[in-house]
Amino acid sequence: MEGLKVWRLSSSIARPSNLRQLFGFGAPSPLVLRCLNTVAAANAATNTRNRRSSTSTSTPTSTSDREAVRAIRLKKVEQLRSKGLEPYGYKWDRSHSARELQEVYKDLNNGEELDGESHHVSIAGRIVARRAFGKLAFLTLRDDSGTIQLYCEKERLLNDQFEQLKTLVDIGDILGASGSIKRTEKGELSVKVDSFSILTKSLLPLPDKFHGLTDTDKRYRQRYVDMIANPEVADIFRKRAMIMKEIRKTVESRGFVEVETPVLQGAAGGADARPFVTYHNSLGRDLYLRIATELHLKRMLVGGFEKVYEIGRIFRNEGISTRHNPEFTTIEMYEAYSDYQTMMDMAEEIVTQCALAVHGKLAVDYQGTEIQLQRPWRRETMHNLVKEVTGIDFTELEDDLKVAKDAVLKAIGVGIDSKDKSSIEACPSLGHLLNEVFEISVEPKLLQPTFVLDYPIEISPLAKPHRRHPGLTERFELFICGRELANAFSELTDPLDQRARLEEQVRQHNKKRAETVADGTEEKNKNEDSMYEVTLDDDFLTALEYGMPPASGMGLGIDRLVMLLTDSASIRDVIAFPVLKISQ
Amino acid sequence: MDSCASEPEPASSQTLTKNALKGERRPMANDDAVDPAQYLRNRIQRLALQKESGLNPYPHKFEVSMSATEFIRKFGSLHVGEHVENTEISLAGRVLNKRSSSSKLYFYDLLGDGAKIQVMAEARHSDTDENEFAKYHSAVKRGDIVGICGFPRYNLFAPGYATGKSKRGELSIFPRSLVVLAPCLHMLPKHTITSNSAGAQHNHSWTPGTTRNPETYVLRDQETRYRQRYLDLMLNPEVQKMFRTRAKIISYYRNFLDNLGFVEVETPVMTMAAGGAAARPFITHHNELDMKLCMRISLELYLKKLVIGGFDRVYEIGKVFRNEGMDLTHLPEFTTCEFYMAYADYNDLMDLIEKLLSGMVKELTGSYKIKYHGNGFDSEPIEINFTPPFRRIDLIEELESRANLSIPKDLSTETANRFLLEACEKFDVKCLAPHTTTRLLDKLVGHFLEETCINPTFIINYPEIMSPLAKWHRSKPGLTERFELFVNKRELCNAYTELNDPEVQRQRFAEQLMDRQMGDEEAMVLDESFCTALEYGLPPTAGLGMGIDRLAMLFTDSPNVKEVTLFPTMKPQD
Repeated sequence: MEGLKVWRLSSSIARPSNLRQLFGFGAPSPLVLRCLNTVAAANAATNTRNRRSSTSTSTPTSTSDREAVRAIRLKKVEQLRSKGLEPYGYKWDRSHSARELQEVYKDLNNGEELDGESHHVSIAGRIVARRAFGKLAFLTLRDDSGTIQLYCEKERLLNDQFEQLKTLVDIGDILGASGSIKRTEKGELSVKVDSFSILTKSLLPLPDKFHGLTDTDKRYRQRYVDMIANPEVADIFRKRAMIMKEIRKTVESRGFVEVETPVLQGAAGGADARPFVTYHNSLGRDLYLRIATELHLKRMLVGGFEKVYEIGRIFRNEGISTRHNPEFTTIEMYEAYSDYQTMMDMAEEIVTQCALAVHGKLAVDYQGTEIQLQRPWRRETMHNLVKEVTGIDFTELEDDLKVAKDAVLKAIGVGIDSKDKSSIEACPSLGHLLNEVFEISVEPKLLQPTFVLDYPIEISPLAKPHRRHPGLTERFELFICGRELANAFSELTDPLDQRARLEEQVRQHNKKRAETVADGTEEKNKNEDSMYEVTLDDDFLTALEYGMPPASGMGLGIDRLVMLLTDSASIRDVIAFPVLKISQ
Repeated sequence: MDSCASEPEPASSQTLTKNALKGERRPMANDDAVDPAQYLRNRIQRLALQKESGLNPYPHKFEVSMSATEFIRKFGSLHVGEHVENTEISLAGRVLNKRSSSSKLYFYDLLGDGAKIQVMAEARHSDTDENEFAKYHSAVKRGDIVGICGFPRYNLFAPGYATGKSKRGELSIFPRSLVVLAPCLHMLPKHTITSNSAGAQHNHSWTPGTTRNPETYVLRDQETRYRQRYLDLMLNPEVQKMFRTRAKIISYYRNFLDNLGFVEVETPVMTMAAGGAAARPFITHHNELDMKLCMRISLELYLKKLVIGGFDRVYEIGKVFRNEGMDLTHLPEFTTCEFYMAYADYNDLMDLIEKLLSGMVKELTGSYKIKYHGNGFDSEPIEINFTPPFRRIDLIEELESRANLSIPKDLSTETANRFLLEACEKFDVKCLAPHTTTRLLDKLVGHFLEETCINPTFIINYPEIMSPLAKWHRSKPGLTERFELFVNKRELCNAYTELNDPEVQRQRFAEQLMDRQMGDEEAMVLDESFCTALEYGLPPTAGLGMGIDRLAMLFTDSPNVKEVTLFPTMKPQD
């Protein structure tokens, strides 16, 4: 039974050589009907003498194999019904989950059995492995907590159930079973089954590792198959749920109230991004999907809520990549009478609480780099960071943009690509230039958590001017692993200043758009970044005129936080059903 | 309500500001006399003067030592005249009312985080001299957000104390300093007392499950309340409580499911095909991928895929979108919670939801009964009783007995269709074309059964033809193991033992296609990827969907769903 035990562990750590060795261990050539998704299991299957024809064995890769399996299993559905058994059961009462059993009976000795009423248990789950001998069969059953072995003896099972087990049950079926508890001589905790029921007959064979793991596109498209084959995939989403719960707990314990603001809006504001457009039939008008929750949450502060937050989906009509999915989840939070210093503490608190909830410690491994989340995190201005990395002191640069650009190109021009160079050339202001240099030279180096403070006013249209440094704002972004995780500011509350800044933003955008139109062909324009309209949210400006208390606010990308805390390389690994290109 | 006419119109667009900016300088006039546009111009002028003189009218931060609520909790037990002058506290909020009895004494009503407290500013307690004091306070306007440092005390000048009604006076904060943190540039609407609202005007005692009377609100105009929700929240104290109640409903729901081991997940809003319900979706377009996307109309199919993937208990609370007309109970985006529980059936879910809802009502209102204006604000409120167990009625049996009909067993036949059409005509039950059996039956159920469901009632065992995703009944042919929960005649939950036989699921989709071909555009579309997923095996599972907005409506005595939606979709303004 060791083989099965190893199999259970193997899905994530398959080391074929070890496994092969272990599979060969002891057991007198067991009949491996079909083992799920491990290299070793497949190897073992191929090596078995008693390879069964249809339902058994390896890799039905081609469509015809799949269809053949399906046809055979559909026959079994009929057979079951003809025996008066429903292959799609209605319910099953479980007394325990697999993990609960493993815990309750962890001290049971090898070879020991517990009969009697109080040790009669009932479980349910998917059959993921099976081996049958003459009058004995072992099945591995997996539920959402873990796995347990079903120990099936012919004499013990009622009527012809053993026969059923051999002929009608396939790997992938969902079974309910009840019986007593036994730990095998080999140490495998088992339910010694006295009756079972096929709860759901599966029609399609589960993929094995060759197939399921390498085909990334299919992994995302049929995430449920990925989860069945690789339980650690499901774990990421359990951790994601833990993280969400921890974030809510953290902010609610500080008095924040959760609200829901609209997804469909007349004007999409609060960020600079291309929105999705849709059409409302009965209103006869276009609506935009929100690109941020900011402007509506600020209205809540005007309305008298002092601490509000929203966790919700944001939509941006942009390309997809390992860091970008068109829809993603953020938390935005706003606190009256506070400033951006408060939000730095809040960011530290949220991320460390989540790390502790998931890992129990603050040193986190991300893609081979150890990230130290112990507080406090480094807080440094953008000016100082740029100076530190590039040697350029922006406070000493002339106001002349041309001169400044030359100085920048002289300092960092060697070793950057032409795209970055033209971005530098295109900067319309010193503030943009500083930010560009920061993004090119500093950002990728910020692996350990760093608050980058005091962004230029030109690129921060919703942030309050810095109370001491003209030209800057009280804004920070949090970087971990070279990625922006959070963006926060002391909120701009002056309605006149806000109007002027938003109007300037619209002007800039339209100018860029006009330039694109002027020098591009029709076809090219369609996908240009700037070819969408930016409108002013007048209702928001009116709200500010009624007076919004001094406040700070923060947006934090939850998908990126989950990536960090689950060591996931791509955003698609943390979104259950990511947007994909149309399959061919 | 002709009294509305005397309310100043709230500013609703930029034109006001723009005009104001262009306006010439005029001396400040008495607040109540000026027109709103002039008022705004005056305020903006003052702002400009402040900025010119180097003052920042929008300070960066104000250190608040406690919220208004904490203030009341902490000092509510002070004795008359007792004051704690050494206790320096600071708090902040919006000035809702301002009165002055002399240049040395100003009273303010301050609203902070949902609680109201009185401010009694006396020159002798102030850090500044009398001149400065008078000058500063005369410039503070109704609507301004102010920060106060001072000490607590019972104010013996409070109206109740003076008239002998109150022996204690009113708990107040006595400022040593007061600073405007954000000026309100617009004139706030004021309460206008009308004959029938005079008695109830300051109804601060609203609690979930009791009735409201929006006619007594300071801001009554519905359009303005919804379009400028921040004014509604600011001026109508109940409204904040309603949205806090909404947050509590969701939080209770979440905790209840979490405690049962359910895992919260997020499934996509934008998908290739919108399934899981019968409704018209919103369509959008992804530019770079040049791909049409639909916005979800239900969470069902993705959540079932996750159950297939091994999540035995899973739920999502999220927005769903339907491209349909708007009315009192329908908005294009709304919030639902769907949960799925492997190895359970619809009987288990009836027990579970009974426990969840009755527990929630008890927790939020203190009893099992709520008051609700089920027949509009003009009629007497009704009482809805959530004491478990809820009534359970069998759809066909009950319909047959109430209408004295004998409905054909096989509903898929032409005979059955004719029978129901005749029944509709006989009882004068209106059903618009197409007259599919599903639609006819639905109308009859609405007429005969749903109308009787004031207290929570499960209508159970819906016919297969009405329920393409529900599992056939284990003992009643032609029916499914499905229930809907009705409260106050409206559907609140829809649940079933999930259909998990992929072959049967395909047939059901095919039958839907026939209805579609008959002209029923809302019939469900085949989702092949979902059928494929079922072939990998969905365990026996029961699932339930509940409308969060409708639940919030019940708790907050709101017959209109816009009342419980912060920023509802509105028709464009001309």
